[in-house]
Amino acid sequence: MPSKEQGEIAFLAEVLYSRDGSESTLRRVAIGEPMPTMTVSGHQFNLESRSVETSLQGELPEPIHEHFVVINGRRWPPKQVLALVTGLDRADFTTHQARRALTRLGFPAGRAAGTRARHPGTSRAVAPRPSNASGADDPAVPLAEALRPFIGLWVAVRDDEVLVAAPAPAGVVAWLAKHGQRAQSMFRVVDSEQAITGAAPQ
Amino acid sequence: MRFAFREMPSASGGALTPRPIVDIALEGLEVAPVACLLDTGALRTRMSAEIAPLAGIELTGDPAEEFYVGGVKTVGALARVTLTVTSDTDEFSWDAPVWFCDPWPHPFGLAGLEGFLHHFVVTINAYDGYLEIEPDSRHQDA
Repeated sequence: MPSKEQGEIAFLAEVLYSRDGSESTLRRVAIGEPMPTMTVSGHQFNLESRSVETSLQGELPEPIHEHFVVINGRRWPPKQVLALVTGLDRADFTTHQARRALTRLGFPAGRAAGTRARHPGTSRAVAPRPSNASGADDPAVPLAEALRPFIGLWVAVRDDEVLVAAPAPAGVVAWLAKHGQRAQSMFRVVDSEQAITGAAPQ
Repeated sequence: MRFAFREMPSASGGALTPRPIVDIALEGLEVAPVACLLDTGALRTRMSAEIAPLAGIELTGDPAEEFYVGGVKTVGALARVTLTVTSDTDEFSWDAPVWFCDPWPHPFGLAGLEGFLHHFVVTINAYDGYLEIEPDSRHQDA
């Protein structure tokens, strides 16, 4: 894990979507704020939010069973994130440790709605569902808003929730197969009327 | 079977006009039914060629045709595929010709006359934002 001198970090962590989903927002982080040092499973790490975001590039969120953190506008299982950024085995720490470590870095955390009443064996994947900046339990959002962070990507949806988003359908299908999930629908998200105009062959 | 029109996000905020979309599963790709725009003006049923290998369909050697769709010149390769639509209570499968096209500019497949509309009685209620499809019994008996 690359390390910097404490006190030299200055960055703006981007939170992709505001509470009303209307625009991108920036969360200010004070210049000179020291890099948080944390101990996980007996190992010390200097983590900062930018490196966490970078570590997740090219990765797809796994299904959310209960707890999640919101990074780059997507919901992620805390243990998946911490394992990716630290290289530790997931068995080396608990979900709560991972969640606490990531919230210390400024990432909002939450609990998937309805998980407490859900049978443990029938958990639904809501991994990359976009969230408001707080990440707290929120009421269901219209599918169009849920799709907004994934414009240009292929998505799999079920019950108005985005299960996974990837640049190509192969990535979507691979994720579904890997996690034993089944979607209702797969398509590419577009944002213009022209892109979804019917097209009889000329 | 009833399908609510589907909304997509608009770049300028809000949502685009909801469209009549049917989710059609290909045999071999049941985990991810492909969203298809109901297109009464389209003769064929077409999808992106990217979908075919995911369903285990090899297009090599299949009949192909060049055509323009949405102003884009593309090549479609024909394959006969078992398609399935599913609702909470019903499921209907049929064998159909599907043209897998490369390049494919659309975010959805297109469900046209051949391959889809010939198999169903379709009711579109755009005012209330849904479409209903019922398997055509005459086709089943044929």
